[in-house]
Amino acid sequence: MIAPESSSKGANGSGRLGGLSTGSHLLVQAGEYVCALPLVSVRRVVRSLTVHPLPGSAPELEGLAEFGGEPLPVLNLARMVNAAPGANPAYPVTVVVWAGPADAREIMGLAVDAALEVADVPSASVVAGGGGFLLGEAPIAGRVVRVLNLEALGRET
Amino acid sequence: MSSYLLLRRGGVLWGIDNAAVTGLTRRGESFRIAMDGEAPLSADEVLCVVDDLRVQPSAALCRFWPGAAAGVAGLAVHGELPLVVVDPRQPPAMLRLEEGDGTDG
Repeated sequence: MIAPESSSKGANGSGRLGGLSTGSHLLVQAGEYVCALPLVSVRRVVRSLTVHPLPGSAPELEGLAEFGGEPLPVLNLARMVNAAPGANPAYPVTVVVWAGPADAREIMGLAVDAALEVADVPSASVVAGGGGFLLGEAPIAGRVVRVLNLEALGRET
Repeated sequence: MSSYLLLRRGGVLWGIDNAAVTGLTRRGESFRIAMDGEAPLSADEVLCVVDDLRVQPSAALCRFWPGAAAGVAGLAVHGELPLVVVDPRQPPAMLRLEEGDGTDG
């Protein structure tokens, strides 16, 4: 779902940018969880990229890939959010995102089971957040969605 | 412009500033790479020297690959292959020459 174009704030308080609300998120399936990625940080969704493993790396890091001539560390999002593995995905994808703080952002890949839809996630609806990578949870269309803060990704914790 | 020696070790493609490399010797099935003022390194395969790498730092890589973080200068791509660019002053442990890495040949 993509919100209709509007230059004013929506009823939920989200500002709008072109046809999309600034609260627009890409919902992805990561194991048994549905996660929401801020759409402004999503650069591309592509078929699962070939990944070259790095021996001795953390289990969250699947390895390195290449996208558009750029090197791309690829993280397994299900492992990042401690989600139990789901069924074998029929069409796994890599979501290419900007991650890290605004003044030091870097391109990164998130391996997920599927890209689902674009949905508006009003900031006021996000609860139980830790303030880090897992910003919190929000009810979207009758299901609980984990809302992620990609600016916190890559920071030392 | 820096040029980089590309090599493979432990299944990973690595790039090392070629100016820091002082010698290359075959040792059985592997290669010994002599470094300027540093301990020698080992490679399973030596690919080529390239001079067109665009090296990008990666904080995320350092966070999720702590064993190699201190010795990594950044990431780059050659052809369509991603590679890890080494800091020649403190190369990652998995590149260091160890006993059993082959004999002079």
